[in-house]
Amino acid sequence: MKNWIIVAVSAALIVASWVTGWDGLMLAAALVAGWRIAVSAFQALRIGVVSIDLLVVVAAVGALFIDNYWESAAVTFLFALGKALEKATLSRTRRALADLVESAPETATVLRDGSPVTVEIWELTPGDIVLVRNGEQVPVDGRVVSGHGGVDEASITGESIPAEKAADSEVFAGTWLRSGLLRVEAVGIGADSTLARIIHRVEDAQDDKARTQTFLEKFSRFYTPGVMVAALAVGLLTRDVALALTLLVIACPGALVISIPVSIVAGIGRSARDGVLIKGGEYLETAARVDTVVVDKTGTLTTGRPELTDVLVLDTRFSADEVLQLAARAETASEHPLAEAIIRGAQQRGLPVAVVDQARPVVGRGIIARVDGHDITVGAADLLTTDPRAPQLEQLNREGKTAMYVGVDGQPVGVVAVADTIRADAPGAITALHGRGIRVVMATGDAEPVARAVAESLGVDEVHAQLLPEDKLDLVASLQAQGRVVAMVGDGVNDTPALARADIGVAMGAAGSPAAIETADIALMADRLPRLVHALHLARRTVRTMRVNITIALLTVAVLLAGVLFGGVTMSLGMLVHEASVLVVIGIAMLLLRPTRAHTAPGTASTVSASGATSVYPASRTVTTPGASR
Amino acid sequence: MTTTTTTLRSEEFSCPSCVNKIETKLRALDGVSDAEVKFSSGRILVDHDPEVAPIRSLVDAVAAVGYTTRPSAY
Repeated sequence: MKNWIIVAVSAALIVASWVTGWDGLMLAAALVAGWRIAVSAFQALRIGVVSIDLLVVVAAVGALFIDNYWESAAVTFLFALGKALEKATLSRTRRALADLVESAPETATVLRDGSPVTVEIWELTPGDIVLVRNGEQVPVDGRVVSGHGGVDEASITGESIPAEKAADSEVFAGTWLRSGLLRVEAVGIGADSTLARIIHRVEDAQDDKARTQTFLEKFSRFYTPGVMVAALAVGLLTRDVALALTLLVIACPGALVISIPVSIVAGIGRSARDGVLIKGGEYLETAARVDTVVVDKTGTLTTGRPELTDVLVLDTRFSADEVLQLAARAETASEHPLAEAIIRGAQQRGLPVAVVDQARPVVGRGIIARVDGHDITVGAADLLTTDPRAPQLEQLNREGKTAMYVGVDGQPVGVVAVADTIRADAPGAITALHGRGIRVVMATGDAEPVARAVAESLGVDEVHAQLLPEDKLDLVASLQAQGRVVAMVGDGVNDTPALARADIGVAMGAAGSPAAIETADIALMADRLPRLVHALHLARRTVRTMRVNITIALLTVAVLLAGVLFGGVTMSLGMLVHEASVLVVIGIAMLLLRPTRAHTAPGTASTVSASGATSVYPASRTVTTPGASR
Repeated sequence: MTTTTTTLRSEEFSCPSCVNKIETKLRALDGVSDAEVKFSSGRILVDHDPEVAPIRSLVDAVAAVGYTTRPSAY
């Protein structure tokens, strides 16, 4: 606030001087605006630092010596004004993160002996049960022990659609309970919470110097004293003091030095708000150059949960429903995920599935169960006594599904097929990646037909199936050898070597994983592929902004230099243009702070949950689970 | 002599040359073993002995070179 008062007084004095024609007022204006600058310059000088403030002071005092009161006042006023504006706008730029820091909860309602007590966060210990009421903030990372409600997790994941929470759900500190009531067992408190980790990570990322930034900082350390020497030399050579002083003013490297940090702060801050944590300036630059993305299949492109896709009748004495029901009842004795898919499929069709008492699983083949006095088999043809010769089964397997014969007393009566489902947000994400000229490569440990089927329906460019973890590393390396910049999306468990080798390692669904937050080059808090597209888009925008800013800064100095050398540019004009260039640079960086719609293809709105589309009869976009041996 | 790291936060870092000023000033204090200014995130990380150089003295030192700061829990 004080800054603005000084600026205002100085401006008033300048105007008064114009009106009255009295030079003394100009001098006063210069003193008012310049006093602070001089103090700062002196403080720096005392510890041996030649600062920009010193340049301005020398220029202003020099102007006084040649009786140029107007120039002196203008230079100090403009510099002070510029500083005040810079501080204001830089705070705005840092605001994205500052809001996050301030939104961190400070108190909680803990249940002590069943009674609610309000305490400070640091008084809690893991295991405490806290009460979160409607409209309150969740104070800790934890597990819901009872209650239910909708939680707005925007501060962590960037998603504004409330997430439903019930017993055993995970909740995060800093999120808001929009409806309902929750009792939460505290797991991560204060600095151990995901929110704190995100804040630290983002701050470290903002501070992390992009290569270009380090270069600029080194450059400016020699630049400022160099300019003073050059100005001195010019002054001595040309005996034109005004010229020398003007050179001093325009050579402030302000815009150049600030162009990159401010862009990085804005870019990383914005993406953090969107639930994307980027590790630093250098990673931003690399992410902007990514032209290939390697993704796993199960869990990333597919849900990892098999669903029933087809029911075929081979013996017309049975209806499709009867075939399904028999299969489902037989499967009640199995714990295989394929069994669950069949049972769910039957229940969804309204068929009662009563549990069977006698059943015998056959390893690698299927299951035999006793249902209503008959032997029912679900599985490979080996379990039947009659050779089925059903071409439909082969067809289903070719489609990448897992097809099983249903037999009654050894006779084939039908076929049921299950498959993994494609995540609803996957097609849109891949289309969006293609739209940016990015190649999508699938790398999976699953079988070839399955992988191909998924790849075809999604439009994946390259498929590599049946890969071991070492093979994934080799794949990344070979892509890089082709000159590609590779981003790899992994789960961090068996992908670690490949993730480390990739130019950018991406972790999805990082919200619950402290290790992922700390180490991934890009951590997507929400478990959604379209976020990756958003992250890459943001990286490109930020790098573009940095380039634009550097160009503006350099152009300004060049134009001013030319102007001074060829005449026409005075100290005050030089300072005006210089300060304007700094503010323009900051302003352009602030454009990065604008919220953007997540960049996915139209039709994949952000309301979709992870489970994706399921269809029972007959599915067109489903694929099998890995090597489903029955 | 116990060394602890304190984080000071400021919203006033607008010119990268202030980094050097603040770091030099703090390092010159008795009881401060190291000081690092994180320009972009607006933080100063100070390694110091709280007995010899309490937090208040750190804040005052930075104020003397022209910047208001406040200590932060994170």
